[in-house]
Amino acid sequence: MTTSLANHGTVVVASRSANAEQAVQALAEGLSHADLGGVIFFCSAEYDLDRLSAALDRAFPTVPVSGCTTAGEITPEGYDRGSIVAIGFDHRVFAMEASLVDDLDRFALSDAQPLVDDLTERCRRRALAPVNEHSFALTLLDGLSSREEQVLATLDAALGRIPSFGGSAGDDNHLAHTHVYANGRFHSRAAVVVMINTCLPFEVFSTHHLLPLAHKLVVTEADRDRRRVVELNGLPAASVYADLVGVPLDALVPEVFARHPLAVQLGGQHFVRSIQRVNDDGSLNFYCAVENGIVLTAMQPAPLLDDLNRMLDGVTARLGPPSLMIGCDCFLRRMELEAVDHLEQASALLRRSRVIGFNTYGEQHHGMHVNQTFTGVALGTLPTLDE
Amino acid sequence: MALFQLSTSDDTTLSPEALREENRRLRKVCQALMSRVESGSGADGAPYAAFERSVLLAEQVKERTDALHRALDELGQANARLQAAKADADAANLSKTKFLAAVSHDLLQPLNAARLFVSALEAHSLPEASTTLVGHVGRSLKDVEGLLGTLVDISRLDAGVLHADKAPFAVSTLLDALAEEYRQVAAVRGLSLHYVPSHVMVESDLALLARVIRNFLSNAVRYTEQGHVLLGCRRRPEGVEIMVGDTGPGIAEQQREAIFLEFQRSPEAQRHHSRGLGLGLAIVDRISTMLEQPVTLASRSGHGSLFSITVPYASSHAASSRRSAEPRGAVADDDPGSPLAECVVWVIDDDEAIIDGMQALLGSWGCRVRAAATASALEATSDGETPDVLLVDYHLGDHRETGLALAARLRRRYPGLAAVVITANHDAQLSRSAREAGMHCLLKPLKPMRLRMLLVSLLTPQGSQG
Repeated sequence: MTTSLANHGTVVVASRSANAEQAVQALAEGLSHADLGGVIFFCSAEYDLDRLSAALDRAFPTVPVSGCTTAGEITPEGYDRGSIVAIGFDHRVFAMEASLVDDLDRFALSDAQPLVDDLTERCRRRALAPVNEHSFALTLLDGLSSREEQVLATLDAALGRIPSFGGSAGDDNHLAHTHVYANGRFHSRAAVVVMINTCLPFEVFSTHHLLPLAHKLVVTEADRDRRRVVELNGLPAASVYADLVGVPLDALVPEVFARHPLAVQLGGQHFVRSIQRVNDDGSLNFYCAVENGIVLTAMQPAPLLDDLNRMLDGVTARLGPPSLMIGCDCFLRRMELEAVDHLEQASALLRRSRVIGFNTYGEQHHGMHVNQTFTGVALGTLPTLDE
Repeated sequence: MALFQLSTSDDTTLSPEALREENRRLRKVCQALMSRVESGSGADGAPYAAFERSVLLAEQVKERTDALHRALDELGQANARLQAAKADADAANLSKTKFLAAVSHDLLQPLNAARLFVSALEAHSLPEASTTLVGHVGRSLKDVEGLLGTLVDISRLDAGVLHADKAPFAVSTLLDALAEEYRQVAAVRGLSLHYVPSHVMVESDLALLARVIRNFLSNAVRYTEQGHVLLGCRRRPEGVEIMVGDTGPGIAEQQREAIFLEFQRSPEAQRHHSRGLGLGLAIVDRISTMLEQPVTLASRSGHGSLFSITVPYASSHAASSRRSAEPRGAVADDDPGSPLAECVVWVIDDDEAIIDGMQALLGSWGCRVRAAATASALEATSDGETPDVLLVDYHLGDHRETGLALAARLRRRYPGLAAVVITANHDAQLSRSAREAGMHCLLKPLKPMRLRMLLVSLLTPQGSQG
């Protein structure tokens, strides 16, 4: 099945074909036109990635193609799985350039600055509007690299005034292999930075629906390199958390993590630190950086659909009806929606606002690596001439 | 649930082991917090520290963005106030312009009549002393008329009611007459005027272009103490450059822009105590902009100035088709005596003073004049006489037909009747309508010489209606 959406310089095509060549064939038929300037795609990790990358390289030999694997896709129909969705950008409305960061472990400011300068310079050559005011950067990171924080902080410093957002690639909750795509193939322990300059109005946003409770937990022992919390309040972390949420230790599954998040409070805001899994030694792994001595606040979810609706209404009020939104939606949110059977209602909201995107292992917003949020960019429409 | 899972109940019930355990955990928590506090800014590049820094940075960016938005809001409000103030100023300016136009218009009517009377009076044989006085009155009225005309022009240009009516004509049609006129003016000031004729066809608004050249010539004659004034043309790729040069004091570099502003006169001009409002070049500048025909100025201090306007060439086809509609009499007739004698001129105007003035003026030229406020009143007194020329005021009162309609009606009744519509309305549309109807149009204040030239051209055989 193929679905598509065309509007104000973007065309979206999705395919549910499990066959890599057939899926890419569908994308190529829908997206290829003389003014195609670039492609961004999100695909299920179930695809044979070697065949998918070969097919993509053949189908779009002349334009930059960037993408990543997901923990679920957001297509013109709403939430989906096992599919591939791609956005084609018209070069008359968008100038886009992509770069690969293939060594996340040693990515420093001395690497970030030349990378951003190069992207900016390439964008400027074909820019449709002043680059500094009319551009944003999309970052797609390997979601299991444990390097998001440093890479993002470094990139953000180099990007300066250019707003950025993005997501960490997923693999349908297997936590085994996540990939980003650039330069004609898939990469692990890598990141893709896509700079997009456009004459359309846009807004980079991030929202979540979680409220703080009174309970506080102090991390008393952590393994920062593995994003692991060994002890909370001086006791094995998993059991403290299990007691906090009132379930037996062996019932700690992602659905519970989604319903009972923990967050750090910084500058009056709460930032969720999502738990990834329970380890055999009673420690907890997180999707983001942890540190000895940080204070975690227990959080509880408010109605997700209300928050999503409010955010989409706000964007529409400021920007007019979006022509397209690129959304990075934490897979835990999707899990929560599935648990309370609200997935179809959420899909309806996403369809209405033309959201295309994927379920992530973490989101990126202005250089911050955050969890359990819905983060992305909303694109407005071109002012019509007869007004 | 409390911060720790120790019971909040009475401590005395706790076993020593439980207390020891709580103590251990509190120490652990304290240690963790202390190490966290002491690592502080986290300059060691740890991942969490990087995240913390990003949050703080984002916070600062947000604050700065908010401050920027507030500043932009204030700027926007200030802008709105400025726009409102500008709208007020524009409105005030417009009402001033309208007032000026209305006042000027109302002054023109009686002035028109006065000029006609004086012209008629000059034709009478008067004692020498009286002739001199009448001459002074005539010149004073002419000055007033000139000044008023200037004010009307600038207010009309500012009000945007004046529209260019471009048509092809031979540049000599305009320059021959002007050269003749200013040759005499220059001679009075002891200057010579060199005129280099050209017969190139150009496309412009004859009246507006005449105004520009006239202002150039007036300035040249006014400010040049000795030497000569030059009037001529130079062919350029983009058109004909009509030039007026002089051997006057020249214009200093720093004044070359200022002299094109209203009420600006050069120090030389002020030294001369000349009667001018300093509007001449401001009018030139506005007309030049309106015609889209550029004005240039070259000058050397102490040696002279050269003003010019570049006018595009006429396309040859348009030139020939429109030529017949131009009054031949734009060039002065050398023999004004005979052609007007005994010709029958009808005058229709609703202003009695004008009627009296016209009767006196036309009568002094030997015309047989019939004048009345309406066509029927005229015909009643005409004894079946056929008119040669009709002079009709365009605006005959609020509830009557226009002079143009009346003239058209009379022309149907008297075929071959030449018609001249006289109006204070400088709208190009009106003169175009008149021209299209095969009539002529003269503007108030009516210049006796111009009327006379037109009548001569209409009453000589070649100039009759085609």
